[in-house]
Amino acid sequence: MGFHIRKSRVTIHGQPVHQPDAPTSDIEMARIRLIAVGLIFLCAWLVIAGRLGMLTFSESPQKPAKTTSTQVVIKPGTPRATITDRNGQILATSLATASLFADPRNLPDADEATTRLVETFPDLDRDDVFKKLSGKQHFVWIKRNLTPRQQADVLRLGIPGLDFQKEERRVYPAGNLTAHIVGYTDIDGNGIAGIEKSFNDELATHPAPLRLSLDLRIQSILHEEIRKTIKRFSALGGSGLVLDTRNGEIIAMASLPDFDPHDPGKASDDARFNRASLGVYEMGSTFKMFTAAAALESGQALPTDLYDARKPLKVDRFTIRDSHPESRWLSMPEVIMYSSNIGAAQIALQTTTPIFRAYLEALGLTQRAPVELPEVGAPLVPSRWRDINTMTIAFGHGLAVNPIQMASAFSAVITDGILHAPTLVAGKNDNATSPRIFSEKTVMTMRKIARLVVSEGTGKQAAAEGYVVGGKTGTAEKAAGRGYNRKANLSSFLSAFPMQDPRYVLLVSIDEPKGIPETYGFTTGGWVAAPAIGEIIGRMAPLLGIRPFDETAPEIASGLYIDPAPTKGGRQIVVF
Amino acid sequence: MTPSIFRDPDLSLVEKLRHVSLSFLLLMTLVACCGFLALYSAGGGSFQPWALRQVYRFLLGLLVLLGVSLVDIQFWLRMAYPLYGVTLFLLFVVDVFGHIGMGAQRWISIGGFQLQPSEVMKITLVLALARHFHAATWEGAGRIKPLLLPALLVLAPVALVMKQPDLGTAIILLALGGVMFFLAGVRLWMFGAILGLGAASLPLAWRFMHDYQKKRVLTFIDPQSDPMGAGYHILQSKIALGSGGFFGKGFLNGTQSHLNFLPEKQTDFIFTLIAEEWGLLGCSILLFLYALVIAYCFLIGLRARNHFGRLLSLGLGTNLFFYVFINVGMVMGILPVVGVPLPLISYGGTAMLAVLWGMGYVMCVSIHRDVRLSRTGQFED
Repeated sequence: MGFHIRKSRVTIHGQPVHQPDAPTSDIEMARIRLIAVGLIFLCAWLVIAGRLGMLTFSESPQKPAKTTSTQVVIKPGTPRATITDRNGQILATSLATASLFADPRNLPDADEATTRLVETFPDLDRDDVFKKLSGKQHFVWIKRNLTPRQQADVLRLGIPGLDFQKEERRVYPAGNLTAHIVGYTDIDGNGIAGIEKSFNDELATHPAPLRLSLDLRIQSILHEEIRKTIKRFSALGGSGLVLDTRNGEIIAMASLPDFDPHDPGKASDDARFNRASLGVYEMGSTFKMFTAAAALESGQALPTDLYDARKPLKVDRFTIRDSHPESRWLSMPEVIMYSSNIGAAQIALQTTTPIFRAYLEALGLTQRAPVELPEVGAPLVPSRWRDINTMTIAFGHGLAVNPIQMASAFSAVITDGILHAPTLVAGKNDNATSPRIFSEKTVMTMRKIARLVVSEGTGKQAAAEGYVVGGKTGTAEKAAGRGYNRKANLSSFLSAFPMQDPRYVLLVSIDEPKGIPETYGFTTGGWVAAPAIGEIIGRMAPLLGIRPFDETAPEIASGLYIDPAPTKGGRQIVVF
Repeated sequence: MTPSIFRDPDLSLVEKLRHVSLSFLLLMTLVACCGFLALYSAGGGSFQPWALRQVYRFLLGLLVLLGVSLVDIQFWLRMAYPLYGVTLFLLFVVDVFGHIGMGAQRWISIGGFQLQPSEVMKITLVLALARHFHAATWEGAGRIKPLLLPALLVLAPVALVMKQPDLGTAIILLALGGVMFFLAGVRLWMFGAILGLGAASLPLAWRFMHDYQKKRVLTFIDPQSDPMGAGYHILQSKIALGSGGFFGKGFLNGTQSHLNFLPEKQTDFIFTLIAEEWGLLGCSILLFLYALVIAYCFLIGLRARNHFGRLLSLGLGTNLFFYVFINVGMVMGILPVVGVPLPLISYGGTAMLAVLWGMGYVMCVSIHRDVRLSRTGQFED
């Protein structure tokens, strides 16, 4: 082997030193290194060979699944099941269609056939069709899902070598309105998003319609009001949810912008994104309801406790401020009513981190919501939950959850203390037993506080006359890089009605609303989302058969009243 | 080029032509033929739109290869730094003015010809490093200070390519530099230190990665998580590989590729088409051919009597190895998806020419294997 080695120049104290064996060690090293590299390459080759063998001889897990479902679709007589809303309105159904294919080898004249086909279907590309028809394959698709008239037109052409494959086409009568929930299928009829995906096997094999918990009427109202609000405030988007408090069924769920489920490929990623289920957000002050409920239920706090909100709270390098500072001692109801971050942080700390965290976990706020959609975002929970996390989570920052989790947890706080698993399938929870988290006493206090926010606090604009609305506003600054952007808000209102016996929970969140003169430039939850909630409740309650109440009647007015003013003898809580 | 650069104290042009290794040329032609067949199949059993153009490119590439190999190796030794400099400049230009192709700035248009400087960089980097270590001593390779220049030679293009952003090529350039350093005799503890630093900086790199790059890495870990999005390529190609079986489905009979389940089937993912139609047997033969080409590069390097030629040949062999390993590894789901073509087979002009140009140097080393070069690039008599 012809290694040519140059004399090494070795010096010690500037004097050249003769090193007779240096070349040999050089040559050795060079050779060893070359062999080492060669061996590494050989190993890499063996890895590839091994992997190739593995892939060849192990059955691919996706392949059989794909084949079976395709067979199910093509088998005549078992069309994919219909999906309906709770009242039987059709949300998705299958229409039998014919798809045109060709066996190019049986075509007498590819050029002629191409001309005639392009005449019949002007949307086909001539070159493309000609390439397919003049190829050597046995089977090429020309056009999928023809209407009966189109099929007749092709039959009239009388070209041998053309044939039809019976197929079905999925139709969504509600279109964009339920696109995020119902989802869509691929061209072979396999569900690839939404309910179509999560119930793909059932829909393909069981002919009975799948009845969802959605109410198309309420869905339409929710969708329209959110659309109007987004337009009014030039917002990026928005989401909303209506939940039945008795069983956790989702009556309506909207995410805007939306898309046409018949042509999902045309929609942008943003439009296909389901903000109500897949998006997780720091929800801001709406979270204070959970903070208060956990503090009361654990017995760590009393409704009469007082919190020092005289000045911003400094913890390490963080400063917790109030956006509308009262700069005095606040009672617990006042903390919620004036949405004091300083107060909420102290309530959570008073509860202590382990207990606070345990309640949030029990409310399902730290796990993925168990709803029947493939697109459900997992909450972002701090990896190490220290006291500072407890303090920021107390006012809804530092823990990102999705709107479904918010609504179902709120339902437990103000209804009966029971957490029903949120569901999109009608009747799913009818026989389910769900855990009880809050006592009647805590629930009653929370109802009063929620009502206070709408009757006297930040949520006045959500008041739909006669429906005894209660709730909590939230204006979360959107995370931007390492900090928060004060200008970009997620403005929400989390509410329920009627508060003396809540039947429905509603959540509306608007993404980055821009200030307008009518709201004096404000983009807070109280100015943006609360009016939408008021509109929605005013329109949906009559449809659901809920009669307006006399809000001044004593059993409602005084039954739901809590005096926010600090009472003498309330404990001054010092946790800091 | 003047004819004088073909003159040589020892070898006439005729002698050089006699030294051209025909078996090496034949090997590469065999690999390229696999590519022609695959592209013929990808085109739906037609020479259009890909196979015929690829044949022309290969023939053009062979001319380039011969042209490069017949030039005196001494000339290439002198040109190593200027060529490197020009490529680095082009990379810089691409970063600033490059055309936006497929979401990343990688192309530059010179007189209607589209050039991808990062592909060229792989070769000129090897040239420049071979030039540097040719002049350096083994002892120099053992200390830190003399290594600063070659380290800069590697890191400058890596930084520019990262900027494009083309993570795959950046990693290849880095690895290529690493292997060159290793072969040149850099001490092992330095590799340890650099590997340690690299591992420590991974979280930092993650922060600077684009969302789509992060997504690719995450999908690589769990392709099922996003079967219709970023995981689509990997899943479909795995299905194609699995469905080929031992003998394959036969020429022109692949389904994954013909029914358009596989986007980009003619470029980076062409190996799946080959796997499906020719099966394990065909893949093994193709991989064996590649192994032979790479082994040839190494043998030619071993045989060379000058340090420059040895390092050049080994480096270019390594480069070819990275191409094949990363492309095939990606298709099989061993590695994340990065845009690396399958050399001599994937459809694409720059890649084909760059590979054959690089192999031209290997041939050049082979022809000039007995030439001795001084440190400064003069012939030793």
